Amino acid sequence: MKQLNEVIKEVAAQSLSRGEVDLVIGWKKGDLWWQSYPAFVEGDEGVADLIWDPFCVPNLSRYLLEELDDKSKVAIFVKGCDALGFNQLLQDKRVEREKVYLYGIPCDGLVDPRKLEAAGHKWLSEVRRDGDELVLVSKEGEQRVKARDFMYDKCLTCRYPNPVTYDQMLGEAVEAQPQERFAGVEELEKISDDERFEYWARQFSRCIRCFACRNVCPACSCRECIFDIPEPRWLGKAKELSEDQFYHIIRAYHVAGRCVDCGECTRVCPVDLPLQELNRKFIKDINELYGEYDAGVDPETEAPLVTYNTNDPAAFTES
Amino acid sequence: MTVLNPLLPQVAKIVKIKAETPTIKTYRVVMPDGSKPFEHIPGQCAMISVPPVGEALFSITSSPTQEEYMEFSIVKTGSVTNFLHEVEEGFEIGIRGPYGNGFPLESFKGKDILFIGGGIGLAPLRSLINYCLDKREEFGKIDIVYGARTPDDMIQKDEIFKIWPEAPDTEVHLTVDTEWEGWEGRVGFVPQCVEEICFSPENRIAVTCGPPIMIKFVLQGLDRLGFTPEQIVTTLELRMKCGVGKCGRCNIGDKYVCKDGPVFTYAQLLNMPPEY
Amino acid sequence: MKKINKEKLPALWERLADEAALYLPVEEDGVVNFAPWKEGAAVNLDVINTMVPPKHLVFPQSENYLRFHVEGSKLEIEPLDVDGPYVVFGARPCDVAGIAIIDKLFLDEPCDTLYKERRDNGTIISLGCNEPEETCFCTSFDLEPGFSPDADISTWDLGEYLLWEPRNEKGQALTAKLDDLLEAADSGAAQAVEKLRQDAASREAAVVREHGWEVQGVKEALEDKFDSEIWDEIYRRCLGCGVCTYLCPTCHCFDVQDYSKGQEGLRFRCWDSCMFGDFTLMAHGENPRPTQKERVRQRFMHKLLYYPSNFEVYACVGCGRCVRKCPVSIDITQVIKAAGGVE
Repeated sequence: MKQLNEVIKEVAAQSLSRGEVDLVIGWKKGDLWWQSYPAFVEGDEGVADLIWDPFCVPNLSRYLLEELDDKSKVAIFVKGCDALGFNQLLQDKRVEREKVYLYGIPCDGLVDPRKLEAAGHKWLSEVRRDGDELVLVSKEGEQRVKARDFMYDKCLTCRYPNPVTYDQMLGEAVEAQPQERFAGVEELEKISDDERFEYWARQFSRCIRCFACRNVCPACSCRECIFDIPEPRWLGKAKELSEDQFYHIIRAYHVAGRCVDCGECTRVCPVDLPLQELNRKFIKDINELYGEYDAGVDPETEAPLVTYNTNDPAAFTES
Repeated sequence: MTVLNPLLPQVAKIVKIKAETPTIKTYRVVMPDGSKPFEHIPGQCAMISVPPVGEALFSITSSPTQEEYMEFSIVKTGSVTNFLHEVEEGFEIGIRGPYGNGFPLESFKGKDILFIGGGIGLAPLRSLINYCLDKREEFGKIDIVYGARTPDDMIQKDEIFKIWPEAPDTEVHLTVDTEWEGWEGRVGFVPQCVEEICFSPENRIAVTCGPPIMIKFVLQGLDRLGFTPEQIVTTLELRMKCGVGKCGRCNIGDKYVCKDGPVFTYAQLLNMPPEY
Repeated sequence: MKKINKEKLPALWERLADEAALYLPVEEDGVVNFAPWKEGAAVNLDVINTMVPPKHLVFPQSENYLRFHVEGSKLEIEPLDVDGPYVVFGARPCDVAGIAIIDKLFLDEPCDTLYKERRDNGTIISLGCNEPEETCFCTSFDLEPGFSPDADISTWDLGEYLLWEPRNEKGQALTAKLDDLLEAADSGAAQAVEKLRQDAASREAAVVREHGWEVQGVKEALEDKFDSEIWDEIYRRCLGCGVCTYLCPTCHCFDVQDYSKGQEGLRFRCWDSCMFGDFTLMAHGENPRPTQKERVRQRFMHKLLYYPSNFEVYACVGCGRCVRKCPVSIDITQVIKAAGGVE
């Protein structure tokens, strides 16, 4: 990991100084140990700030929607999940491939600071990855813990840790060790309809309608979102369960077949709505109805919900 | 003592609708008992409700000296105004206000006043013009420069063509953007017209309202004519919801347009962030 | 000063809930938020920051305030009643300070009577913080983690007991009704509180110093920063979501909307966010804040310059929710540092 932290600075400096790109989007460090956030580097000065550490979770490809407007070429770093999101933007014809340079980063899982805090690991100054372990640095010294115990849930089920698309791979490929990603969905499928309705009603009622899940989503790239149109206002602004349900369910339908399962919706939700589980239910159903399909793996493969086969099941009309 | 919720409108009634242009209508409004909704100062605004479409803020175009009713000239441009353009006389609306500071009348007294308006920008000026004409002895010479794209786009045609030109010590200078069949008056943009007439800044206040681009060039022109920023007064328009400085969307720096404005001197605007 | 054995808290809550609607930090599905108390509720007084601050109890996310009836050209408008008395138990000093800050705007002339009535109906019982979280910086704003001067009743967690001190008439009136549950505190109680307050404050102040999160002079420093490049650096990663505004104890911007079904309808006000593109979008399509840069600048300038200009208090209480929850780590301490007010 230490090595990669140097490599990203080198490649960014090189691309910029050779004039190959106008902008490199990477990550930099904030004041607090878990703050690794998007950084926009256009010249030499910002290069030294670029980092790679176990908290570089924000997907950088969404920024291309704005940044490419006035630039001829932009380089971004992509992890496995980010590359899927990037491909989805390509498939939705929202970015032009030739205007982007992708540095691929094999990623063996990122750390959820809340899991560390919940286990009492607070007031840290640095967290480093060392093989299968995390090195937690604090004023009291260093402590080693098992990395997998503190990864984001979404990383534990990750099937594509190595970017499926890139121009230059920075580092050795890592081995995927995915847990069953539909386990949560299957649990919810087991309970009765009423219980499931009650479960989701309880979750959605917590929603504060901040739209973070939409704004971070690589499948939510519409120029104008239906939920923002003032006239007619499809989504009322009242804090009512029916509006909360409408928002989340319609959004899930809108990204169905295009959701790359990156789990950013769940990560950014300020009130812990398990949104990835909702989207995974759609993925699971699509897989079962129309055959296995992984959105974002190959932008050339036609998505099941935009193709029609005469032998497609007609589940809605048959039941 | 019960203080009323400032967001609570009262029911009022549209008693007369006059089509000014294809997209502008003037509405005369009274309370159900036939009285004027409330007192106001020229330049102030009122929030008009058409449930269930919503509320929007409009400047009051009638003069406070008009004791019978209140008037609003409204452009068809959004959901509330589209709705208002469909209703007929007798329709009931909600009304609350007055909002905003209004024009600084005291500082205008004894001075010549130059009104510069473009298009619908005449609406807030009209309240003040008619006020000045009704209290004619309190003010010096009155000049009104008004322009629109075409003669058909001019509003309050009775007043601009007949009533105001006949008022004592009052001149009306009308202009249209381009040549127009049957139009024998001035042709050219409002800022151009102001500079051509070459108004002297001496003991004169300039009050301007119109599209942002017009105001920008009017300010430049007035500057060339020697007007100081303190002598220039304008009104701003931003998106507003509450009208009472609470909802937080119409601020420019620490000023709220709905409460501290909408009337500002150019000198005040120069001290505010350019976010309008 | 009074005290109550923590074992008696459920009895206290039951009593309070008899008096008025009682809201307190309740854990559900792993999330702690202020919620109505009911028997068996998983009350959690250990969490410092509830996920959403209790601001919504005085300024609900949406609030109906009039009913209308439209029939042909006829319109009827009828104001709606505000909910009755309520008690907020366990509010942290930063969150109570947030309410006191928005009081200044809503109660300023012309008084927002809708807000005032709801505010007057509430009794706030604060719970001092024994120690800060990593993201706490209330001391930057001259607030104290261990004490809330704006609460109606202050309480402190001393392990076995909760110390209890009414701070005004409203607090005294409620305390008087709880006589059989509260006991007189020991003679050392005041000293214990004093120590708790000092320890919490000095520990937090040390962290604030270490990070450079002091806010002194930031208002003055921002006066000429409207066109500064600090905004270019900060806004660019902003996703334009409303996490920061909706989790903020002092953000108070709202929208007014109508809801109708047939001829009947309701008008309500609801939270709105200056981070959203349509916040200042005008009917004719112009927008004085056309990009995220202007919106981000507005939010921070409002908190650190405009609000203190109008009300002599920063519109931030250092609760740290934006620091923790912004998906891309845009947090107000970065602006404070970039503004460079500290001498």
